[in-house]
Amino acid sequence: MAVTFQDYYESLGVGRGASAEEIKQAFRKLARLYHPDVAKNKVAGEAKFKQINEAYEVLSDPEKRRRYDELGAHWQDHGNGPSASGHGSRAHARSDHGDAAFEFDGTGFSDFFESFFGGGRDGFGSHRQSAGRPDGRTGAFAHQGQDVEADLLVSLEEALRGSLRKVTLRRPGNHGQADHTDTYQVRIPPGVREGQRIRLSGKGGSGLGGGSAGDLYLRVRLARHPDFSVQAADLYCDLDLAPWEAVLGVQAKIPTLDGVTSIRVPSGTAAGSRLRLQGLGLPRKDGTRGDFYATVKIRTPLAASPEERVLWEQLARLSKFNPRSES
Amino acid sequence: MSDSRFSETYSLMVVHVADPGPPTYSLETAARLAGVHPEMLRYYCQLGLFGDERARSETELIFDDDALYELRRFEHYRRHNRVSRKTLRLICDLWREVERLQIELRFRRGE
Repeated sequence: MAVTFQDYYESLGVGRGASAEEIKQAFRKLARLYHPDVAKNKVAGEAKFKQINEAYEVLSDPEKRRRYDELGAHWQDHGNGPSASGHGSRAHARSDHGDAAFEFDGTGFSDFFESFFGGGRDGFGSHRQSAGRPDGRTGAFAHQGQDVEADLLVSLEEALRGSLRKVTLRRPGNHGQADHTDTYQVRIPPGVREGQRIRLSGKGGSGLGGGSAGDLYLRVRLARHPDFSVQAADLYCDLDLAPWEAVLGVQAKIPTLDGVTSIRVPSGTAAGSRLRLQGLGLPRKDGTRGDFYATVKIRTPLAASPEERVLWEQLARLSKFNPRSES
Repeated sequence: MSDSRFSETYSLMVVHVADPGPPTYSLETAARLAGVHPEMLRYYCQLGLFGDERARSETELIFDDDALYELRRFEHYRRHNRVSRKTLRLICDLWREVERLQIELRFRRGE
């Protein structure tokens, strides 16, 4: 099956020499535009959001970016590139024998990404089952089917509320048989975390000689969000403040997954401080929710009007504050 | 027999609803699903192979999907690649460390 080359630089609208900061800014700008919550056309917005997420996944990682740049125009010459007409969002999972490739649709990642950046995780779990085994299966030469694993792109909103996702898996046919395709409605439970595996019992490779089927594992990759980053169940976002807001304090509005909320910034807040909103993070296993942290960034005005300049100069004369004298 | 009036409007597709398994498994269930004897799994836990906080409650050993995945992977390499338990313990520790660092790195890059 063939794979369509993805031009990740074009997806983010940046040049090949773009810096890491430029790539981050381009992603945030586009992600705010196409995020499914705000896009006018939900379906097209979601497809574009996945596309830019994938591009950022590669270009924000120096090692993946280097490999991507090396692929260049000759990407098809590389040994691990598959062959056939892929369209839409498909992914691959190789078996532990390296010969049979499972194909996924609906995981949120393209064929191209899974072929070159999906980690190439081999399936496993194909083992002989015989009478008397603890699993109770019989058949001296029965072989259990292999376990299959694929990445699943999950949005933060899905991680918060849970969702139903349609995932299609095409299994290669054995001994000249035709490939077999199954579509599953997979329930994403609320509170899934980065790297967590969702096990679908018996949905992996078929067994042989009466052996049971392997399992299908979907590894959760949380989609990058334009405003929030995630650590365990906690959410982090930047809170930009003007210098006078940090000194005097302010009541600021910030977006959370639950909607826009107001946060009180106390006077004398230093850059880098983290303000906590309890219980506005992602769900935890025990049913409680993580916290939301707003990290203070102090933004300095790039230009000052003559009147403003007079006031700044007046402040400079009056103030005894010297940041370089502090230990 | 299909009605041609509807053939352009509806296409039939078999969709299976696949609910993830229960969030946790008992030691006996995890052992059965991984094809090992429960006493062997208990021994693995005593060795610290599957003894992190994910696989341990206050009163009994419990396993989630991640722990089951690791156990099945462990058994696969032990049986098929003849890797010793001592070496596999090292590999397991490294797997977990790599995954933990990948998650940490992803967070740092997203900040």
